[in-house]
Amino acid sequence: MTSSRVEEELVTVTIDGMSVSVPKGTTIIEAAKQAGVLVPHYCYHPSLPSPAVCRMCLVEVEKAPKLMPACVTAVAEGQVVHVESEKAKKAREGVLELLLINHPLDCPICDQAGECELQNYVFQEGRSGTRYADYAKRYSPVEDFGPDVLYVPNRCILCTRCVRFMENVAEDPILNVSERGDRAYIGISTDQLLDHPWAGNVVDLCPVGSLISKDFLHKARAWDLDKTASVCPGCTQGCNITIDTRDDIVVRLRPRPNLEVNRHFICDYGRMNYRWLNRGDRIEAPLVRDGGRHLATDWDTALDRLGQLIRGTSGSAVILASGRASTESLGLVRRMLDRVSVTAVVQVPIGEEAPLAAVPNLALRAERAPNLTGAELLGYGSDWPTGLIELASAGLVIVLDADLSQSDLALLAKAPASVVVMGTVFDEELRNAELILPITTMAEENGTYVNRDRRIQRYNQAKSQPGMARPAWWVAGEVIAGPGPSAAAPATAGQAFELLSERWPVFAGTSYDDIGFTGRVLSDSAGATGSRPASRAGVS
Amino acid sequence: MSTTAGQRGSGPGEGPHRGVGEHGSAPGGHDTETAPYERVFRGEHMARLEQLFTKYPTKQACLLPALWMVQEARGWISEPAIGEVAEVLDLTPAYVKGVVTFYTMYHTHPVGRHFIQVCTTSPCNICGAEDVMKALIRETGCGELGATSPDGRFTVMEVECLGACGFATPILIDDDFIESVTPDKVPGLLQRYK
Amino acid sequence: MGYPHPSHPKENPVLSKHFGDPEARSYDGWVKRGGYEGLKKVLRMTPEAVVEEIKTSGLRGRGGAGFPTGLKWSLMPKADGRPHYLVCNADESEPGTFKDREIMRWTPHQLLEGCAIAAYAIGAERCYIYIRGEFTDPYKIMEKAVDEATAKGALGGNVLGSGQRIEVILHRGAGAYICGEETAMLNSIEGKRGNPRIKPPYPAQVGLFGMPTTINNVETLAAVPHIMMRGGEWYKGLSLNNPKSTGTKLISVCGHIQRPGNYEVTMGTPMRELIYDMCGGMRPGRTLKAVIPGGSSVPIMSAAEADDCLLDYEGVVAKGSMLGSAGMIVMDDTTDMVYQIWRLARFYAHESCAQCTQCREGTAWSVRILERILAGKGKQEHFQLLLDLSDNMTGKTICVLSDSCAAPIVSGIQKFRHEFEAYIQGAREPALAAV
Repeated sequence: MTSSRVEEELVTVTIDGMSVSVPKGTTIIEAAKQAGVLVPHYCYHPSLPSPAVCRMCLVEVEKAPKLMPACVTAVAEGQVVHVESEKAKKAREGVLELLLINHPLDCPICDQAGECELQNYVFQEGRSGTRYADYAKRYSPVEDFGPDVLYVPNRCILCTRCVRFMENVAEDPILNVSERGDRAYIGISTDQLLDHPWAGNVVDLCPVGSLISKDFLHKARAWDLDKTASVCPGCTQGCNITIDTRDDIVVRLRPRPNLEVNRHFICDYGRMNYRWLNRGDRIEAPLVRDGGRHLATDWDTALDRLGQLIRGTSGSAVILASGRASTESLGLVRRMLDRVSVTAVVQVPIGEEAPLAAVPNLALRAERAPNLTGAELLGYGSDWPTGLIELASAGLVIVLDADLSQSDLALLAKAPASVVVMGTVFDEELRNAELILPITTMAEENGTYVNRDRRIQRYNQAKSQPGMARPAWWVAGEVIAGPGPSAAAPATAGQAFELLSERWPVFAGTSYDDIGFTGRVLSDSAGATGSRPASRAGVS
Repeated sequence: MSTTAGQRGSGPGEGPHRGVGEHGSAPGGHDTETAPYERVFRGEHMARLEQLFTKYPTKQACLLPALWMVQEARGWISEPAIGEVAEVLDLTPAYVKGVVTFYTMYHTHPVGRHFIQVCTTSPCNICGAEDVMKALIRETGCGELGATSPDGRFTVMEVECLGACGFATPILIDDDFIESVTPDKVPGLLQRYK
Repeated sequence: MGYPHPSHPKENPVLSKHFGDPEARSYDGWVKRGGYEGLKKVLRMTPEAVVEEIKTSGLRGRGGAGFPTGLKWSLMPKADGRPHYLVCNADESEPGTFKDREIMRWTPHQLLEGCAIAAYAIGAERCYIYIRGEFTDPYKIMEKAVDEATAKGALGGNVLGSGQRIEVILHRGAGAYICGEETAMLNSIEGKRGNPRIKPPYPAQVGLFGMPTTINNVETLAAVPHIMMRGGEWYKGLSLNNPKSTGTKLISVCGHIQRPGNYEVTMGTPMRELIYDMCGGMRPGRTLKAVIPGGSSVPIMSAAEADDCLLDYEGVVAKGSMLGSAGMIVMDDTTDMVYQIWRLARFYAHESCAQCTQCREGTAWSVRILERILAGKGKQEHFQLLLDLSDNMTGKTICVLSDSCAAPIVSGIQKFRHEFEAYIQGAREPALAAV
């Protein structure tokens, strides 16, 4: 899609002494971001309609009679705004004081501590003591909004982000504000649950620990977490996520903002689907078949054996790949078999699609394979049976971490081919594999996925590789380079990526630096970029 | 999980609990809350609602009038009634509930056969409204504000300015707006309501 | 007239001329008294000419804000092809104010005529009259009047044979003072919680159902037929003090006064004439202590300030308060100011819609502090705390409910500090049980 530059009318404003030019109609709060100024706020959110109710974002605007809410006030030419003026700070101090009067001193037991916007602003500019002494605080018991969300009314600051998310973004108004005045609270219909496929986002949106996740309840402290930028391995949407780990265990997935892909949201399926990254039943060392059993060995021996098997293959090869394999891994494993004819298929489990109503082009996709597009660009087919049919006549089969069903395993067992497994989880059924090589999951390596809109996005290593596991691209890269001083073998995922463009020009002209943290849409051969049409793999 | 400062009760005057307080409280027996729900919007009521649809460009705008119709028919607005209203107006029950709980004249619990509202805001307050309120609580047998009398006849609520300040103290008994009430007039007034 | 008392010579009964006259309620009775002549005249004019006449008259919003009505009408877009709406604010819930209900229950057709003229002037074919739920009698009377007017052709698809369509729909509120705020009223009509909206955009651009809308108070609209009949210049001439305040105002006098009621006075009439001459002054043996002139949402005036105050918008501002809705609460020396300020704070805390932090939490906290003081647990720090809270609650919210809560508190501490001190220092018995 070629874009034409639209001439936008720009307005120049000064915010805390910094001059910025922004398109007409921009709110002060957004213009301030460009000036490097964060206007403190609660109810405002760039992906929700602004009600201006928390009153935290009041700023001083010269010549205006009152403080103006920055989240709904549009900039005007020549406006001079003071975010850090005495008046504005006093107003914010006032809001914070009022938010704290009924707020329980729950920090020691509240999950939000360490990533709580109330804590943050109170430390930054709140009063140091309370004047609400000896009064009873408002009290209501915790409510289970189900299935994953708990509501702690005592901590609620009534910013209404959750209500607006369900009403305006999910378009399923299941939450409300009930009652009036200081009796108000967030309500849900008596016999309904917060089970919308995207409902988990309300936990992220809640600035305090009022809406919390049962899954994460009392699991880890925010400051103990290591946070890694990654991409969701759930489906072809490719939502950007942050993987939170503690002591090398994945404890939580959260959305990472990307206005082009998932805005600020991820679906509950992606959010909850991380436990497989912590599995302990991993292949820890390269295993080579010796008679009826497998013996652990070192990488040099294993790589030699693999090279041998490939050179000794007569006939064709089949690659049965997982849709979670990285572009680098899929590409280099393919290249590793260059001397034979290859049938390569990628596994695409299918599930229910669940769009996020008000956001265009955002849904939990039916195709639960995060790198389906990447695989296709690398010449993998998505019709699984095609690969299975070839098993009978193939000389070599590479199983690239695919989830094999009982019937798949039966076919494999009957096949005369030599089987090489590059896998994560140890599978007892693969007794006849010549080689079982331990590879990393996407959380244990750097790599890329290409989403359904041809956006290539990087993910980063979030936890350490178990045992002797290595990325599949490393294994293939070593085999391709051959034995001896492996100067030619790629040492990093970025280098592995660079090896792809020679064979697949679609990746040419892009580097890991270009991809950065927000990804880059790959152009097709005609130089145009475009989104995918409707789903594939036989499901329309 | 527990929270600190778990003592019940905030300042006097405003109850901390949901569903109790200004929207009415249940009488001694809970039978009316558990009897099977009969739809309101059938026949004549449905016809009236459909007439209403012609007066507003959206169904949602008929919400307040529809809720009044339910309260007129049943005396209060139950959970199933909220569901029914949501259904006939293409809204969600949570949405309707948010509106019902905002407006204090809608009862979300059954109340006495006769609902009494007495104004005690300052203009009436300085003219003896609190004495009228006490007299009402006493003479109805309710014992306290928001409670229903044991015989199920009355519920007394303290309300804000009724807009008849020059005729202190005004009270509403059901839809009857009675002005210039004094404590001595209370027993006679109550006689009229069985 | 000072209904329910006989009219006083110092009054200027224009709107209230027929209060107390049951015959004025009916369509025929109203016509007999000159009714619907204004509408007939208007239908032969252009809407622009009508707006000009109202501008000339200097009529200002009688609900409390005092915004020039002609100007408000002129802000409506012209011939934009979208439906325009007129909303009549009959939510009258401001403590001390009880004038609109009198207009509705004695002269419903006066209001309907005003609505029809206003609708014509702003290009609206539909007028919603939002009547508070507690006004059961006025609602029934208005309902009957609408039916009558429609039957007689004064409302409906062909108003008085002019080809114009003007429909009046009554919408019943359900117990929320905040719905008297014009944008909250729009939300309430739309079937939502009565939350005030952010302005801009203003109702004339984005109003009811997103369409251009004008909201006017009952008393404002009731004045309109008279202005159209007798001319804007005539109305403009009814001004005793400041030329920016013209016409008559219904003052709802209540509290510690001999003859409470609604008194219609020419703008600029001295307050002491109203209190002592028209209303008969204090009860025997009592002296004036305080007056809250504009409904409770304005600063409390001391007796001295009330003594030489002129009743119009500028006159009351000159004495440090506001005319507002002119719901005048008169308090004599028996009044416990702290107790009444607490009762007013309770009112605001109860009515807060819960959107803005300062209002939602600030009004409730103010109530609690005042309770402490009344229970004999007050401290010197409470003064500064109340003033800090009031400052926090002023000028920082979507609507002015929190400012309205602050007004009696700030003015109360300013002018009646000794009463607070009496409680704090234990010189006065606690008025409330310990909390």
